[in-house]
Amino acid sequence: MERSTGGVVWWGETGEFIQVNNTHCDGCGDCLRVCLGGCFALREGKAVVINLESCMECAACWYACEKGAVLYGLPKGGTGFATEYG
Amino acid sequence: MDESYDVVVIGAGFGGPVAARKCALAGLKTLLLERSARPGEKVISGLTIPFYGFLFGPDFIRDGNPPIERPVDGIVNYIVKDIERGDIEVDDSLRIPRPLSPVLAFGYNAYCRPFCQWEADRAVEAGVELRTSVTVTELYREDSRVAGVITEDGKVIKARAVIDAEGSQALLAVKAGVRKKYPPDVISLADVYDYRMDKDRVDRILGFSNRFVWAWDEQRLAPPLGFGNGLMVWPYRESIHFMQDQCLKMERGGKAPNLARLFREYHRNITSKLPWWRDEIAPHAELRAHMWDSFEIYVGLDGELRKMPMCANGLLIIGDAAGLESTELCDGVPAAWFSAELAAETAIEAIFGGDVSERKLRKYQMRVESHPLIRWSISGTNRYDLRYAQKSHDIRLLRKCVHNGWGVGAFTHASTPLLLTALRAIQENPMVITSWLRMFPRYFRNWLFESFDPLSDDRPEVFRCDAYKAPKSTPGESTAAGGVPEHSSVVTEALAGPGTGGSAGVETLGTEEPSSVVATPGDPLKEARESRSFSSNEVINDAPLRGWETQTGSQISGGTLLRMAQKGLACLDGLVFMLGPALSGTAKLMEPLARLANPVATAALPVVEVILKGWRRMEPLLEPITERITRLLVESR
Repeated sequence: MERSTGGVVWWGETGEFIQVNNTHCDGCGDCLRVCLGGCFALREGKAVVINLESCMECAACWYACEKGAVLYGLPKGGTGFATEYG
Repeated sequence: MDESYDVVVIGAGFGGPVAARKCALAGLKTLLLERSARPGEKVISGLTIPFYGFLFGPDFIRDGNPPIERPVDGIVNYIVKDIERGDIEVDDSLRIPRPLSPVLAFGYNAYCRPFCQWEADRAVEAGVELRTSVTVTELYREDSRVAGVITEDGKVIKARAVIDAEGSQALLAVKAGVRKKYPPDVISLADVYDYRMDKDRVDRILGFSNRFVWAWDEQRLAPPLGFGNGLMVWPYRESIHFMQDQCLKMERGGKAPNLARLFREYHRNITSKLPWWRDEIAPHAELRAHMWDSFEIYVGLDGELRKMPMCANGLLIIGDAAGLESTELCDGVPAAWFSAELAAETAIEAIFGGDVSERKLRKYQMRVESHPLIRWSISGTNRYDLRYAQKSHDIRLLRKCVHNGWGVGAFTHASTPLLLTALRAIQENPMVITSWLRMFPRYFRNWLFESFDPLSDDRPEVFRCDAYKAPKSTPGESTAAGGVPEHSSVVTEALAGPGTGGSAGVETLGTEEPSSVVATPGDPLKEARESRSFSSNEVINDAPLRGWETQTGSQISGGTLLRMAQKGLACLDGLVFMLGPALSGTAKLMEPLARLANPVATAALPVVEVILKGWRRMEPLLEPITERITRLLVESR
């Protein structure tokens, strides 16, 4: 049966490579809905990044946010997710 | 004092090392930068590299031994009309029949990590300096010219030309104003699962065929799929790969669907309702990785986006970063390889010519745009029709689209670009013909024996040990995904704990020395090679046979036949060599005729299908011959 043996790992201090610009965010929640890692949440009508430890750096949030409120960068070299089975 | 190179290549994925290697071989001082700790570990794909990528791509891959997971002889399409009643149609017309099948392949499945590592190793061998764990934050500009890169620690690395192979998001190119961020309706998010399963079982259940599933939206089986997409299952050596994908938004400015919930639902449905998955795979497969990544699948279909520049003053953009994902097959690797070679050629010409201005580099974009296979792969409109068929429940149209996209009908639109590319390759060097012929049996034999080139940086302990922790839950937050996905794991604490045993892989990834993993050409590779026994002939003879070929049991001594085949190839080498100029000339003459290939293939399709059907019927009778061919390859050392 299905069992996770964890073929994906996250390591290191990535830094805050995804940020939300509060002035542009209108709280539509697109970033929440497209993020498979559950990295976003809504607080007082604005999106906030709550957790980057399950981010796979797919940039779906960046693409989905057409207001340009999600600022996407890259984690520091050698940090972030890694997998053998990609 | 800033460091200075002739060429800096950003990104050691599939395209980067190819470009870097070519530049280094031309005598340029080349630096390859990679942001992850080891090449390829951030590359996610359900990956079949089609045969044309290998045949017409870089010669070192065609003539080498890259780590492939399984040869693929075709695609089995399942068109699900009604899952509850089990009403499923099968279209497996695109399949190379036995006995040609496992040796002659339509493509090769591979894991990105080892494949990219292998490519990077070859680049390092050619004299490229590889630096991992370095994130490039910005392109360095002098006046209007891109004159290098700026890394995360603020260091400037100067270069006469920068080749940008950073991947589909093209963050650096966007930041530099060369390209624009893609709108969400051309971006597809792929949800990928990797399952471990016994090799025997994979051989028996999936064999050498990829499986694609197509269904109506309301069956909640395959995602409703942007412009019409499906659900794909790839057999690997000892595992299977599963991918579903969907566009982020159906139209610009619209609302994004809740992808986390959708994907979870579809995945649950497919694994519990589709008969062959439910009965044969689900009880034996063990999920070992759940990954996702976005890719720019429909860029080629949008005129505005397709016209975006792939070069600027001092900058060349290749592969996914230039939007060269195949809309038809979801496969960006061949285009990445082709464009990497073209970019390297252009960069070499420009640097030796002393002029790396945009005017000179624009030649690269022209070369990419006139490459028959790249043009074909980024402009296939079959998916629009497929989407329309799915929306309108037109089963006949859906059948036709599937047949033309992923069945043998694909040759009705692929034959002209394939033939054109082949003819151009022959014009350039006729000896490529024998190199093509040799590739298939060599890859197959290497797959059989797992005798691929050893990787300089093998799998670190951390991926094998039990040092994984359950994902952190995020209490009190209303996330759309409902917390962290089930299968992710957080290893940061585990690394600090005593359980990991301080393996080498962990040491290198430490945070103290983020940019110090420099692979020097030569030593580590050589050592790795010498310590592995694959290269010696005796060991290959003694290697135990694996999987289905052991069950044949028959002791066919094929020495004579094989020697004849080898002599035949040697003769062919001589013949091709002598006929070289004539072959080149003929290829040139035939080029205008290649335009007729598509209509001819369309006309001949019914006949071909009848022949293929007849051949399929004969397959059981031909099984002994298949065994014999396998034996031959097994004994061929």
